[in-house]
Amino acid sequence: MRSVRGRPSLYTSYEAETRLFPTRVQQVALGVFVLVILLMPFDLPVIDQLPVIRFLDENYWLKVVNKALIFAIAALGLNLLSGLAGQISLGHAFFMGVGAYTAVLLGGPDSGRLWGYGLPIWIWLPAAGIAAALVGVLVAPAAVRVRGLYLGIATIGLVFIGLHLSRVFPEVAGPGALGRKWPRLEFRIWKEEEPFLDLTRKGKWLWFEVTQHQKTYFFLLVLVALFAVVSANLARSRTGRSWAAIRDRDIAAEIMGVPEFRAKTTAFAISSFYAGVAGALLASFSIQFNPEAWDLLLSVEFLAILLIGGMGRVSGALAGTFFVILTPHFVERFAHWMGDQAEGEGLMSGFWDGFVSIGSGDFGFVSVSQTALGFPLPVAALDEIIYGALIIVFLLFEPLGLYGIWVKVRNYWKGWPFSY
Amino acid sequence: MKNLFRVLAVGLALSVVAVACGSDEAKVEYGAGVTEDTVRVGAIADLSGIFAPLVVQIIDAQQSYWDKVNADGGIAGRQVDFVVEDNGYDVPTHLEKYELMRDPDNGVVLLSQSTGSPHTAAIAEMLVEDGLAAIPLSWYSAWPDPAFGENVFESYSNYCYESINGVEFLRDYMASEMGNDSPTLAILSFPGEYGQDGAAGAKIAAEALGIEIVHDGEATVIPGADQTPIISALVEADADMVWTTINPSGLAGIMGGAAAEGYVPLWSGNVPSFSYLLLGTAVGPLLDTNYIVNSYIVTWNTEGVEGLDELKAWMGENNPDLPISDAYIIGWTEAMAAHQVLEQAAANGDLTRAGVIAAFNEVTVDYKGLAPNQSWGGDANDTVVRETYSYDVVLADYDDGATIADGGGTGTALLRGPWVSDITKAQTYDGACFKTGG
Repeated sequence: MRSVRGRPSLYTSYEAETRLFPTRVQQVALGVFVLVILLMPFDLPVIDQLPVIRFLDENYWLKVVNKALIFAIAALGLNLLSGLAGQISLGHAFFMGVGAYTAVLLGGPDSGRLWGYGLPIWIWLPAAGIAAALVGVLVAPAAVRVRGLYLGIATIGLVFIGLHLSRVFPEVAGPGALGRKWPRLEFRIWKEEEPFLDLTRKGKWLWFEVTQHQKTYFFLLVLVALFAVVSANLARSRTGRSWAAIRDRDIAAEIMGVPEFRAKTTAFAISSFYAGVAGALLASFSIQFNPEAWDLLLSVEFLAILLIGGMGRVSGALAGTFFVILTPHFVERFAHWMGDQAEGEGLMSGFWDGFVSIGSGDFGFVSVSQTALGFPLPVAALDEIIYGALIIVFLLFEPLGLYGIWVKVRNYWKGWPFSY
Repeated sequence: MKNLFRVLAVGLALSVVAVACGSDEAKVEYGAGVTEDTVRVGAIADLSGIFAPLVVQIIDAQQSYWDKVNADGGIAGRQVDFVVEDNGYDVPTHLEKYELMRDPDNGVVLLSQSTGSPHTAAIAEMLVEDGLAAIPLSWYSAWPDPAFGENVFESYSNYCYESINGVEFLRDYMASEMGNDSPTLAILSFPGEYGQDGAAGAKIAAEALGIEIVHDGEATVIPGADQTPIISALVEADADMVWTTINPSGLAGIMGGAAAEGYVPLWSGNVPSFSYLLLGTAVGPLLDTNYIVNSYIVTWNTEGVEGLDELKAWMGENNPDLPISDAYIIGWTEAMAAHQVLEQAAANGDLTRAGVIAAFNEVTVDYKGLAPNQSWGGDANDTVVRETYSYDVVLADYDDGATIADGGGTGTALLRGPWVSDITKAQTYDGACFKTGG
């Protein structure tokens, strides 16, 4: 049943209340949003003029967005475990690694020193998720016994076990510091020469010329949409409610009859499935991947994403991912752009020159020509400072993250002009 | 629309040029990365990742070199625009930044640096697709192999050949300075392409020279891990010489730990095992008496090198406040190679990306004594650089915290080099010493 006309907050049935997009406004907004993201990688007249999106016909930005889409899958997974079930995990990078190495073992070439079976993507990609999920189930019993900070520490251990395994099995991981090549994003029925769909080469779809980045973008977009819908549905299912109960008070949940062990195990398994698929995609997207990159920092990045985006919300995880992945690139491009402006002849060149420092003896606080640490700050250091500051600012002022900000903005306009 | 404007603008510029110029320089053909008045040279560098302290200095020297080129009038009348992008030592980021470099409109004509082995391996195929050349900041012995990276042009020698030369030098040094004619050897290395390539070279040398390896620690040193078991095994084996393919912090820990147990052999290793900055630490005196430094290029202290005098004069004037460092020579020589290749391309009248690749295969880079001269054209077995340098550590010549303007040294004195061992000379190059299988 639909909600009563003109009373979007009044629900007449449970079904109506649990709809993902209950109001007409939301449905229309979703439609427009989908249309825009479908069209945005193309060099189209109107969309090309929208701020931010206008960059996206450039390969560089599309590549960045593609990486963000892969990170979004992993973030959605961690959101189930940490956001919904309340289990803090620093082992997400480990599960991504499990997925990636399953993928390369099944899909990679066999070349004497490196093991691989050369199987097609429809085997290695799901298998990456399944293998990671199985490992998640194996780890869960240990994780169920500890909670909070202790669980965080226990899962850090996983990352180091993973790094150790990659050194013990160079046949799978490739030699340290170099790694190996991953199977490409191309679709074959079996092991035939020519793939019927190759996402890593440019080609023609129907009447349109599409680049490899546009192809990958659509493929990842479909996957992210799928994973997002599954994760939103999980949240409003019996499983999701049992997770939320455990997150809010595990003892109370158990007294109410929520099977704690089973719920936590499922949370680990499903979250690891997401991580496994994302790990396989990230490595394949990177072409070559070194084993040291599945490290603690990567795990921490996902916690930062949830923190900034908003814990426990699909939209929070997605917004957080894009924010965390894109911000450093915006900062860098903006600094370079300021440098160009300052060097140019324009009216504002003096203004921008106040911010950036081009040669020595300049007093701008960001350096675009020198890379040595110190004053003025090199752009790379500015990135890191902003990243750190954002985490602190969100923790202190907006614990609900970007989602919280969105709710505040929405409520303001809902009550407008009587917003107080 | 943007593209349309660009095409119109370029077309307009070209027609103006065609009418206005009749000089020689107008005859230079050019494409992506080059315009009428600029040449864009790119570097994807690690400015915020684990190698940032080293790479930042390398990039500073490159930037300084290109400033000098521009002050001298540029290349074929064009100013060099040196474009640096940070990869944070992360492969996906490297690929994103590569998109900026390969771009036909705003990209570069060549990459004078691509930091990191997995990163460069990841772009190797695309380099061929785009017809773009890159100089890797990595000295794995696989790079000269066309199967590994056709458009990747490695500078100087590699980890493997350096180890062969280094172990032979150690043997000679033991005989002449320490009166030991049949020294035993221990090998310590990181796992992976760097560590095991170096270890492979040390083993080739040991076998050819009949040196007994009493401790084979290939791939046993884990960066950042507890080194106590490594030290115990090493002390137990009691070799006369130790060859290391690790990093400076690992070297300091293991060397210091072994000395604390009373084990002081003659140490040496591949160039990245050592950093002159270690001389300012507690292991300084030990390095002074018991370490031989190897290198593909000269160090800051080397006397009578024309290229080094130029470097010091230019950077002393333009970057007086930077600390002295051996790393500048890497950046300076990378830029020298890129510069001479571009000059060759300009002389050929072809500054397109394809012209640059052709020039790479024609040119013999004259490093003015900073490194053995280098060419890439022809069979890899003929062109791969085999010469390296061996240095003594002289703590008295090390000036902690000195800037370029202050002068001073990084604490090394040339013992032999550039030289090549007969074993290295006899090696037939057919791919990496440490095979990775793809």
